[in-house]
Amino acid sequence: MIISRQQNKTEVTMKKYIIMLMMLIGTTMSLWAQNEVELTGSVTDNAGEPLIGANVIVKNMKGLGVIADMDGNFKIKVKEYQTLVFSYLGYKTKEVVVKNNRPIKVVLEPDLVNAVDEVVVTGMGSQKKLTLTGAVTNVDVDNMKHYGSSNLSNVLAGNAPGIIAMQTSGQPGKNTSEFWIRGISTFGAGKGAYILVDGFERSNIDDLNIEDIESFSVLKDASATAIYGSKGANGVVLITTKHGKDGKIKINGKFETSYNTRTITPEFVDGVTYANLLNEAYLTRNKGWYFSPTEIELFRNGMDPDLYPNVNWKDLILKNGANSYRGNINLSGGGSTSRYYASISYVEDEGMYKTDATLRDKYDTNANYKRWNYRVNLDIDITPTTILKLGVSGDLSKRNAPGMGDTDTWNSLFGYNAILTPVVYSNGYVPMINMGRDDQRTNPWVMTTQSGYHEEWNNNVQTNVTLEQDLSFITKGLRFTGRFGYDTYNYNWINHDQQPERWYANGRDKETGNIIFDKIKDKVDMHQSSGNTGSRREFLDFLLHWNRSFLQVHNVGANLKYTFDENIQTQNIGEDIKNSVSRKYMALAGQLTYNYDNRYFIDCNFGYNGSENFADGHRFGFFPAYSLAWNVAEEPWVQKQFPWLDMFKIRYSNGKVGNDYSPTRFPYLYTIDPTGERVYNFGTADHATRSEYTQGYHYSAMASPNVTWEIARKTDIGIDLVLFHNRFSLTVDYFHEKRTGIYMARNYLPSIIGLESSPWANVGSVRSQGFDGNFKYEDRIGEVGFTIRGNFTYSKNKILDYDVEDSPYSYQYQTGYQVDQLRGLVAEGLFRDFEDIRNSPKQMFGTVMPGDIKYKDVNGDGVVDDNDVVAIGATRTPNLYYGLGLSVMWKGFDMNLLFQGAGKSTFMLNGKCVYAFSQERYGQIFSDLVDNRWIDHETATLLGIAANEDPNADYPRLDYVTNNESRNNYRASTFWMRDGRYLRLKNVDFGYTLPKQWVNKYHLNDVRIYIQGSNLLTWSKFKLWDPEMGSSNGEAYPITKSVTMGIQVNL
Amino acid sequence: MNTRNIRKIVLGGSLCCCMIAALTSCADDLDSDKYFDDRRSIESVFTDRNQSLGWLAQSFSFLKGALADCKTKETDINGAYFQCFGDDMVFGDRDMKMDLDGNARTSFNALMLGDYDEEVGKNAWIDAYKGIYQASIFIHNIDRNVKMTEEERSDFKGQARFVRAYYYWLLLRKYGPIPLMPDEGADYTQKYEELAIPRSSYEECATFIADEMLKAVDEMKDWNRFEAPNNTDAEFIVRPTKGAALAVRALAYIYAASPLANGQLQNGSHPSQVTDLVARELVNKDGTPLLSREYDESKWARAAAACRDVMECNAHYELYHYGIVVSGTNEMPQTITPHHDGDFSEKNWPDGYADIDPYLSYRRLFDGEIGLTGNTEIIFTRGYNLGNGIKSFVAHQMPNSPLHGWNCHALTQKMVDAYYMNDGSDCPGKDSEYGEGDGSARKSGWTTTDNQYKPLPSNVSLQYANREPRFYASVAYNGSRWWNNNPNENEHYPQIFYYRASGAERNNGYSNTSRYLRTGIGVMKFVNPADYQTGENDWNHITDKYEPAIRYADILLMYAEALNELQSSYQIKSWDGKQTYTISRDINEIKRGIRPIRIRAGIPDYQDGEYANQDVLRKKIKRERMIEFLAEGKRYYDLRRWMDAPIELAKPIYGCNVMMTSAQRDQFQNVVQITSLPTVFSEKMYFWPIHFSELKHNNQLVQNPGWKYND
Repeated sequence: MIISRQQNKTEVTMKKYIIMLMMLIGTTMSLWAQNEVELTGSVTDNAGEPLIGANVIVKNMKGLGVIADMDGNFKIKVKEYQTLVFSYLGYKTKEVVVKNNRPIKVVLEPDLVNAVDEVVVTGMGSQKKLTLTGAVTNVDVDNMKHYGSSNLSNVLAGNAPGIIAMQTSGQPGKNTSEFWIRGISTFGAGKGAYILVDGFERSNIDDLNIEDIESFSVLKDASATAIYGSKGANGVVLITTKHGKDGKIKINGKFETSYNTRTITPEFVDGVTYANLLNEAYLTRNKGWYFSPTEIELFRNGMDPDLYPNVNWKDLILKNGANSYRGNINLSGGGSTSRYYASISYVEDEGMYKTDATLRDKYDTNANYKRWNYRVNLDIDITPTTILKLGVSGDLSKRNAPGMGDTDTWNSLFGYNAILTPVVYSNGYVPMINMGRDDQRTNPWVMTTQSGYHEEWNNNVQTNVTLEQDLSFITKGLRFTGRFGYDTYNYNWINHDQQPERWYANGRDKETGNIIFDKIKDKVDMHQSSGNTGSRREFLDFLLHWNRSFLQVHNVGANLKYTFDENIQTQNIGEDIKNSVSRKYMALAGQLTYNYDNRYFIDCNFGYNGSENFADGHRFGFFPAYSLAWNVAEEPWVQKQFPWLDMFKIRYSNGKVGNDYSPTRFPYLYTIDPTGERVYNFGTADHATRSEYTQGYHYSAMASPNVTWEIARKTDIGIDLVLFHNRFSLTVDYFHEKRTGIYMARNYLPSIIGLESSPWANVGSVRSQGFDGNFKYEDRIGEVGFTIRGNFTYSKNKILDYDVEDSPYSYQYQTGYQVDQLRGLVAEGLFRDFEDIRNSPKQMFGTVMPGDIKYKDVNGDGVVDDNDVVAIGATRTPNLYYGLGLSVMWKGFDMNLLFQGAGKSTFMLNGKCVYAFSQERYGQIFSDLVDNRWIDHETATLLGIAANEDPNADYPRLDYVTNNESRNNYRASTFWMRDGRYLRLKNVDFGYTLPKQWVNKYHLNDVRIYIQGSNLLTWSKFKLWDPEMGSSNGEAYPITKSVTMGIQVNL
Repeated sequence: MNTRNIRKIVLGGSLCCCMIAALTSCADDLDSDKYFDDRRSIESVFTDRNQSLGWLAQSFSFLKGALADCKTKETDINGAYFQCFGDDMVFGDRDMKMDLDGNARTSFNALMLGDYDEEVGKNAWIDAYKGIYQASIFIHNIDRNVKMTEEERSDFKGQARFVRAYYYWLLLRKYGPIPLMPDEGADYTQKYEELAIPRSSYEECATFIADEMLKAVDEMKDWNRFEAPNNTDAEFIVRPTKGAALAVRALAYIYAASPLANGQLQNGSHPSQVTDLVARELVNKDGTPLLSREYDESKWARAAAACRDVMECNAHYELYHYGIVVSGTNEMPQTITPHHDGDFSEKNWPDGYADIDPYLSYRRLFDGEIGLTGNTEIIFTRGYNLGNGIKSFVAHQMPNSPLHGWNCHALTQKMVDAYYMNDGSDCPGKDSEYGEGDGSARKSGWTTTDNQYKPLPSNVSLQYANREPRFYASVAYNGSRWWNNNPNENEHYPQIFYYRASGAERNNGYSNTSRYLRTGIGVMKFVNPADYQTGENDWNHITDKYEPAIRYADILLMYAEALNELQSSYQIKSWDGKQTYTISRDINEIKRGIRPIRIRAGIPDYQDGEYANQDVLRKKIKRERMIEFLAEGKRYYDLRRWMDAPIELAKPIYGCNVMMTSAQRDQFQNVVQITSLPTVFSEKMYFWPIHFSELKHNNQLVQNPGWKYND
């Protein structure tokens, strides 16, 4: 309340200034000479509940207005025959003409969201869904808020039609998702969507606080994105943030805490099982016994833990779960001349590593993440026709991780099997294996707890100013908007690193019986390394908007927009002067719309864009698009015949957009560098001194003068259907896109050209097509309101052109296959016996035995080698995404369910835990292997276990691979390919809103308490780790499953 | 229309105009070129003297690696150097099965049996074209450099043109016909199909190289290194000269006239094992033959004229020679008077050898003793740019004990037999294992004292007695003396034996490592008396040696070779058009090419009957080249261009019986076949294969016959 009073105070002073300003400008308002009356009344909803804070204003008299009090009552001075406007969020606005001073009782009807009148934000401003002709999806922000995640990108999957998203890690601060609009349609460097927040470009959406979002729309076809010209090809995400509204201050708070565990935790075999498998791998390849039965027994009974350890590393370093905390408070409100929205939020995700109790007081080694977001949006009416909007927002985030183990922990955890080393030797030595002495093979306990800590923090500030001017005095319906934005980003890291002395127990001295210790790594004392990067972005945008209706049925609109933006990386940009030049971009865009009686629509767009990255003559591009729509439901005969048809619109769009992203700066420039001091000696200088060598110069990078942006030609056909008085709505789109001129290095120039580096060119081409759509059914049965909603995206692409070299086998070209198509050998099960091996084509990957993988000789040349590698399966990134949601409301209770799934995805397994013993004794083994692997009967007899000579076993004959041996079984093939399909209960949310009677007593408006679960259930054929990660070896921080409890309070 | 409306229209219109104007006026903002004005550019490089010269140096830099003419097999596994192996020289290390260092690289057997794949040595191709592009940029930009005089610009441009044509020459010699690139460099922005340049024919390549070299002669300033006014300038001594350009032109013509490129079997007589398969198979995709199928004698005449251009030009090349040593030392032994033939023995240099020491004249040419300025014979060299190249070569020749050498380069019996006796006759038993020679037996017996058969020490087989001086400068026979000036060791003039060790003997003979001479005959060429090692890789005590890439002796012998092939007489203009040569099989002219070589070698001239017979003389000249250019990387290519490779490289390799101990020394000298070094020659070995990725990237490029495409 203190805040609100202060706010009111500033508001008053602000008002003063503005009034003075208005007088200075010379704008005066004439007052009508009518009788002034003092009117009282109340505002309630149709159940009689007072609407606290409802706005009461005098129509066309900005600045005159009051707000309903705690009981819904108001008092206002008006003149007779003026009109009062009553409004309240979520209710229909009502106008009442004042006739006398008798108290009035106003009842506001709840405003059910009307699908036809739904407002959608597009590139040129907001537009009713009815008049939309392009493929634009409005994502319901409320649905997104149900998901307990600190990252917006993780919420997109299953909620936003047309978006394909993948989360590859669950590590706090890195647990964001990659997403693509309508799938991947280029193999070039820039695949990501163009993101605009309040009209300003942003590099990602994860810095945003979900609670601050007012609207979220996805622009998918050429007609919607053409105005972004050379940046729109991968689709556009438009986000607007909340702004204040006239009325009393509203305070909104939300606090929640989550307990996070893992969706799927990899399961490994224990020490004794591992030792037995190691014996099996040795025996089955005729290498004898690795461990004697006595030694196996030592692993079992733990009598000699230094040499025969048995450690469960996973339990040693991982906690069962960790907590997250999220809190958010926002304030909004305003008077008639200025409005404000302010918010602050805090997110904390704790890490899942166990920490060393003795170090806890000194520093934290866990993988934690904290983030503070703030945002202030201020709107000021400078004159009745001029609005100035100021916005400041930012985020501060801090991520913590173990010193050595930020990225390598999982590698090491997957490497240290139970019997490799103990945690600490009995003499206090810290163990490390003696094979491959790279730091990555430090044991996971040392990595996570004994190696110092890593911290990094982001510090981003975004400021923007917008000026909106109504230009109706020039011509009716004309508006001008100008925007200026300035952002700075900073990223810093410091690594506090230390490493203990590490040893390996290499058996016992035969005479003394003492353990022989080899020193593997020296101690590294605590030291630090650090780094930083940063960038700055400036943005300028002018928009002229004109909209007018003639003769009731001719609706004409026009937009003209000029944009200029530049951004530059400000730190660590090397020595090349090229890197000191900002990335600049300029665009003029226009739009002309016409519709006849909201029935027939035509919309023409163009973007004329320039980018400084390309050579003169290739710098500017013209990107036109058009769309047509026919709203059948508005035809009089349809209205008569099918009164239940609220909207039936057929849309078509076609146009060109671009993708200007190029990883190289100024590819049209060449670089000449010195080649070194001792290039060629033209003199007599003797060999020993070499004093007279000449320094050489050459092209270290070639100029690619003709390089320009990729071009996408996009077509979209869609229908929008709304039925049964807005109960049911459906949108389905078919899209087709041909991307040409994909920016690629020309890696296959013949060497006769004589270049020392590859130039770039626009050579690739990809066609992609698919469907996306969503539906919603909303109804009420008695007191139960419910909504069923669903969405799906299916996209498939095909490479038409690719920078390739000649190959005798057409199946080895990229052309004709999907971007990132999986490739490998075709496995035909396991070899049954030696007879089978003799009768099969020779496999060129070392000696094979029965139980090894048998591959298909695709080209029929009698040998199986790399020429038999073909396209298999699909791609790692799913080509199908879908979500199905259900919301039910009954009295104060509400429940939301969201199922989300992905399909048409395959990925390849590899890594040391799948390829058992492929890195000799380094590497755990998944428990999964124990059940169904090939075991030949001789080995089985030796080991006293059951043989399994099933050619369709899940795992081949074990193999212990040393460096020089070939790896027949351990190659990418259909044998190791897995289906990445999954369906998960992504979200379940159960809430109860406390009755108003109770909460109003405590001056509260709404209080909702809820319990929520994320990723609670996952259905997938693949069980080793979470299939969404798309990992080939599972060596990453697992995706979390969480349960959240929270409370939301509105004041 | 009232003024209010007009104002509205003007206002609205001007707003629109403003926005459009903003874009057009700010369009310049997108032009970042102003930031790059002072960035290093092709303009700034080529208006700066040092940077321009740096660009030129980079053009030459590709000569150092896989493209070196004469370098040990060491240092670059992407390279394959050809002076180390053939029917003259063998090496025993680098053998997958034998070498202790575990690095199975290109072994002698792999190279000799064609048991290498298309990727081996591919850097030669790649580097040559990089050098060609780099030089092309120089040629097309140096004219803008105002910091140089007109004369300097022209000189440097000529040097760039020389090196560019030299890369083409190295490619032609190794790969056969090759694609010729546009003069200014290919436009790499074109489509792959347009950049797929097919191979030009051998004749086109050779004339292109010759024509470019003539342009370079016009552009360059100096005729040779040793007389050039700036020859003391350390920046200039290794640069190419007009004389070098004329010499490469002659080489290209000689190769184009040789049987492999000139009608194959129609040129001279060839045994039945030799076929013209290569000429029939080496055709472009459109059917154009890349090797001439018809014999054209005038190509020999053209080649002879080009050699004569070198002999008569202003470069004044002369074979290196050293005067008589009266009182000798171990390092500079007293001159052994050459054979009294009544001709050379009566005259002083250049008409005879009365006043020179042939042994030192030949030895000092290679051993690093004389500087580049003092050597009038070297026409083109990379100087000292090959790093340890030739030093390493020497280290591989040096005996293990006491010199710490790798002890693995050896000579074949065929090579030993090729050397003449000091009177110009063949050695007894020459090529008897092949059923060739005069049927005599090898000499038996041993020297008993040091001065019995100079310069042999005692206990050396008499097979090595009374040989020509080049033999003693090139061959480290069993029992030869090496120098060892290591001050920490006592024995400074050790006698080295290659017997299989028995007892306490010093072990340089057979061992179960790869470090022994497979034939029991070592190599002395390139060794300086001051050379020794204190351990392996001790480069500090081996004298620097520049590379003899092209020397005058080559031109002289090629002149004789070309003339010998002629039946008709030809009138050919000299390179500058100032005179016309009459080119025919004129014995006196042939002698101009042969006699200087024989005089410097200290042996008598050929007999008149030998000069008279074309076939006999051809054999003599080939033998002369084999001797004169031992270990200079020339025989590998000579055998191929003559199409003698199918015969000579398929013959078994013979040598001493290294399994014998000193007690069995007679058996040691009994020549046996070296069965661990099998030999074979197949058609594919005429030309080096082109690596797969190049074939994949240029669909107009045909592979050399016998080698695989990428499938």
